[in-house]
Amino acid sequence: MDSQFLVSLLMILGTFGLYIGIAVYNMARQTSDFYVAGRNVPAVFNGMAIGADWMSAASFIGLAGTVMLLGYDGLAYIMGWTGGYLLLTFLLAPQLRKSGRYTVPEFIGDRYSSSTARLIAAVATIIISFTYSIGQLSGSGVVIGRLLEVHTAVGTIIGVVLIAFYSALGGMKGITWTQVAQYLVLIIAYLIPVIFMSLQLTNNPIPWMTYGQIVGELQQLDAQLGVSEYVVPFTEATRWQFLALMFTLMAGTAGLPHVIVRFYTVSTMKAARWSGAWALLFIGLLYLSAPAYAAFSRFILMTQVAGSSIADLPAWTASWVNTGSLSVADTNADGILQWEEIVISNDIVVMATPEIANLGIFVIGLMAAGAMAAALSTAGGLMIAISAALSQDIYYRSINPEATESQRLLVGRASIIIATVAAGLVALNPPGAITQIVAWAFALASGTFFPALILGVWWKRANGPGVIAGMLTGLGVTLSYIFAAKYGGFTILGIIDTGAGVFGAAAAIIAIIVVSLATKAPSKETQEEVMDLRYPEGMTYKDGEVWRTDPADTKRPDH
Amino acid sequence: MRKIDKKEADSYFRIRTILITIYLLIGFTASFVVVFFAEELSEFSFNGMPFHYFMGAQGAILIFIILLFINAIINDRIDKKFGLDQDQKD
Repeated sequence: MDSQFLVSLLMILGTFGLYIGIAVYNMARQTSDFYVAGRNVPAVFNGMAIGADWMSAASFIGLAGTVMLLGYDGLAYIMGWTGGYLLLTFLLAPQLRKSGRYTVPEFIGDRYSSSTARLIAAVATIIISFTYSIGQLSGSGVVIGRLLEVHTAVGTIIGVVLIAFYSALGGMKGITWTQVAQYLVLIIAYLIPVIFMSLQLTNNPIPWMTYGQIVGELQQLDAQLGVSEYVVPFTEATRWQFLALMFTLMAGTAGLPHVIVRFYTVSTMKAARWSGAWALLFIGLLYLSAPAYAAFSRFILMTQVAGSSIADLPAWTASWVNTGSLSVADTNADGILQWEEIVISNDIVVMATPEIANLGIFVIGLMAAGAMAAALSTAGGLMIAISAALSQDIYYRSINPEATESQRLLVGRASIIIATVAAGLVALNPPGAITQIVAWAFALASGTFFPALILGVWWKRANGPGVIAGMLTGLGVTLSYIFAAKYGGFTILGIIDTGAGVFGAAAAIIAIIVVSLATKAPSKETQEEVMDLRYPEGMTYKDGEVWRTDPADTKRPDH
Repeated sequence: MRKIDKKEADSYFRIRTILITIYLLIGFTASFVVVFFAEELSEFSFNGMPFHYFMGAQGAILIFIILLFINAIINDRIDKKFGLDQDQKD
């Protein structure tokens, strides 16, 4: 265990040193650099950075376990979190890029010519990103705590210090290149164990081709045991809950401020489209592998752990039993561990895999470094979104329009540190399970930003009063449904709290349309600006006519 | 800056909108429609697993990725056709 401690520590410190080195090297000097990295990040690397931003501790540590425990029903997370990129790349990203705004609240404020709408959007950005970052920080606390064998709270504090340090220091430019490095670390860490497991179980190193065979064997094992079958749909929740959860995750993806802001870091609409495509390819590598993890781990647990004598369990079970994430109590006292007697937590499937497959201390250390990369990179992106909302949208636009660039930069850096520490304090004693908190953040995004952005880009008649009513209605309906479903047992068609976004989004869309039509149409200027988003960068819409412009002029609009 | 025929600009917008609608319909079918008929589709088998499971775990994601790349490639061609090719340094 001592050598494991040393190896894990060295791998985590080594990768952190790499990230911080890149951040320091790219130290930002100007606000435009700080927030959107000077808008000259190539699409492939921007795709990797989006991937690192995107894949959080919940995806890296929790997703495979969720699929393993829920069977087919867990696939709603996989399709939802990838399908959101279709909505984002087809319906929003290129248009938002053409609008030339820096942040989501800024776009909403200008598009709807309403500073109230901008403030609501800024507050919603902070609420959503803050909620999401609590999950990341507590995830990093669990990993650091477990691997360095310190208390989870100490691990969380270490994570807080690291995130606050490099986010505030490097800004987005540091983070973009840091996140490219983080993506590479986390994807390598995720793929190596699953490839080895595939090799051990099927003699074929390509898990995506081989786990189907294991799924088939799982079906037979389930049938023999008479337990709820792995591939049978809707055993854990209704069909409507599956569909609602999938919608919530897709719409939430298209509305998450810290992901959308990534599409401002590209130079053109064309680069926005390519960034989206590369991002989903890089993200897809992890999401295609999660069900393989799930199938292999369940198979090993059912064949090698279940059925063995309670006195003769594999060595790796002991250390996980000690953490409280695995229970192997011999409840019927027959000396044999049955499948029904194994109680396993979502979180350990990925983290325990190197031990289950006996891959040695370096792979275990690499997994720890990868999990930390996932948690820190997402938290870093979230902190930038919070900082931009506070310093640009609230401080500069509403409190002190006279602020100099260095004052804004100072507010931006201070807000990163304050937000990280505040989220860290909440993460010391998290209000719910990590995946649950993350799903709420998605539901809130799909109830507020998704309708406001989609209608803002595609419907020129949508106006300020409409979007204010819509965002407040969406927020209210989503929050009420989450609370009613979670604490009041209230459900419609079996849709529980994690699927709340479908109601929030529907209510917000109706509210925007009804209130917009009942009030005055937006100004001619605003309508022209929305018309302009229809056309590519080389074309500008003005007074009912379209003008051809030199793309170089529109490449980096003045701000 | 010079004026161009609005019809030309609108035909660009129309082509883009039609293509996006097609992509989104394909994506919607691969995810929501397949889930809705999951029980019926479990009769078939693909890549070693029941078809509904394959679509959820692999098929839908692959279709999403392919759609995004097709969109990026085709859109570049449309831009070129409309003389909007803007080869950036990056």
